[in-house]
Amino acid sequence: MRARVVVTGMGIVSPIGIGVSEFWKAALAGQSGISTITSFDPFPMDGYRSKIAGQVRDFAIERFLDSAHGERVDRYAQFALVSTKEALADSGLQMAKENPHRIGVIVGAGMGGMVMGEREITQLYQQQKPHRVHPNFIPVITLNSASGIIAMAYGAKGPNLTISTACSSSAHALGQALHCIREGRADVVIVVGADASITPLVFAGFCSLRALSSKFNDQPEKASRPFDRSRDGFIMGEGAGTLILESAAHAKKRKARVYAEIAGYAATSEAYHMVIPREDGLEVAHTMKLALADAEVTPAQVDYINAHATSTTIGDAVEAKAIRHLFKSRADKISVSATKSLIGHTLGAAGAIGGIASVLALHTKQIHPTANYDDPDPACALAGLSRSAQERRINVALLNAFGFGSNNAAVVFKQATAEDRRSKG
Amino acid sequence: MATDPTISLKIRSALGEYLKRDPAAIRVTHHLREDLGLDSMAVIELLYRIEEAFDLQIPDQDLVGLTTVGHVVTYVEKRLGKAATPAKTKKTIKPTKTKGKKKS
Repeated sequence: MRARVVVTGMGIVSPIGIGVSEFWKAALAGQSGISTITSFDPFPMDGYRSKIAGQVRDFAIERFLDSAHGERVDRYAQFALVSTKEALADSGLQMAKENPHRIGVIVGAGMGGMVMGEREITQLYQQQKPHRVHPNFIPVITLNSASGIIAMAYGAKGPNLTISTACSSSAHALGQALHCIREGRADVVIVVGADASITPLVFAGFCSLRALSSKFNDQPEKASRPFDRSRDGFIMGEGAGTLILESAAHAKKRKARVYAEIAGYAATSEAYHMVIPREDGLEVAHTMKLALADAEVTPAQVDYINAHATSTTIGDAVEAKAIRHLFKSRADKISVSATKSLIGHTLGAAGAIGGIASVLALHTKQIHPTANYDDPDPACALAGLSRSAQERRINVALLNAFGFGSNNAAVVFKQATAEDRRSKG
Repeated sequence: MATDPTISLKIRSALGEYLKRDPAAIRVTHHLREDLGLDSMAVIELLYRIEEAFDLQIPDQDLVGLTTVGHVVTYVEKRLGKAATPAKTKKTIKPTKTKGKKKS
């Protein structure tokens, strides 16, 4: 029998709160973390079509870490360190008592160290002084800087990987960690999703792709509106989420509190288009179906979907179509919510943050609202969407995450068993 | 050893800022790695700051000799043409040009 894998700790840095309890309270209240961009100062915002984002405000690494680990890494890796610190404390895992080679780290990051990256590139081209490129430029922009620094901070010597599949990165990190533990290559994997690239160049790039909302610059909190008829693009966000995954046996042995089981995962490619999903939704439906099969549950058992739902015209409609295709009449009995309606699209962090929202839904029996779902678009109507929080006991939750590069991921979480729950000493 | 106190002060300030330590507690005899605990990457970062502070470029082959705070101070003085012995000021490097590596 394959090893069961459970979630025993969580941590988050998000535009609506740093720390899981703050985040969840704000999420259940439907609070928006979207606001006008101020961080390009003195770079003028006039030329940008979109002027709003889900920003983590007043973040200073010294407030959260007393070690030097946060100083030499970029903002996204600082977020990752902070969410991981919280998650490890929450899990009660004591590294000193563990075999360090059995603790892995898998990070999902889409863009990486773009804050320093952009600064150094700009200076080099403006000043033409190659010798003034910062010695830390390469270590910082190398995409595994977050997984590396987390291992160093906690002495985790097991598998250390970074997955970069754009917006599905950390959903794959969750899935690969599940495989890693199932296969017996680690007892615990620290799974992180992190991105912080609301920077002049990256933001301009997404504007040029015409992927971002531009109709609601004057009402930032109204801009992210998945499945609503007036949605017009996604809102960039930033943040990090960490989930501590471990084998159920390991969690039981150390009498850990178990939030939920992570039971299934699927990864597919649409092999179709760099940025556009297949409009028939069949590949998305297939991905969800594979993940449910991996979790050994049927579509009829699913109670909740944390949708990818970025608030783009095509993306949301395709996802709703795929849900309807796979779940048939069950589709209207499933509660659905879009975390991005609250915090925007945190890119590489989105899978982990959606995972945290799914686990909290299982654990607290509450589902956060989908903000701005004011005028349901008939092209993607799902009865389980709600502008207000829902109370419901959930047995099976499905997390969707899709990324540029024709990339799809789905992850299944299950209610912890009575035995899992008893293990808490 | 240091004849220009401002150079020594600037270097010790840069070190103090980097190490989050009182510059007054940093002595010229301090070994960068053994006494101040800088690893090889940290030495490179420090020299990067010193290059900026004095508008210098330090070629790779010069790094070898820079093991103590005093070495760095003397080196910078020399490069800036402010060394104690005027005979050694022949290499008054212009900060903008560094083509000195062509022939070994």
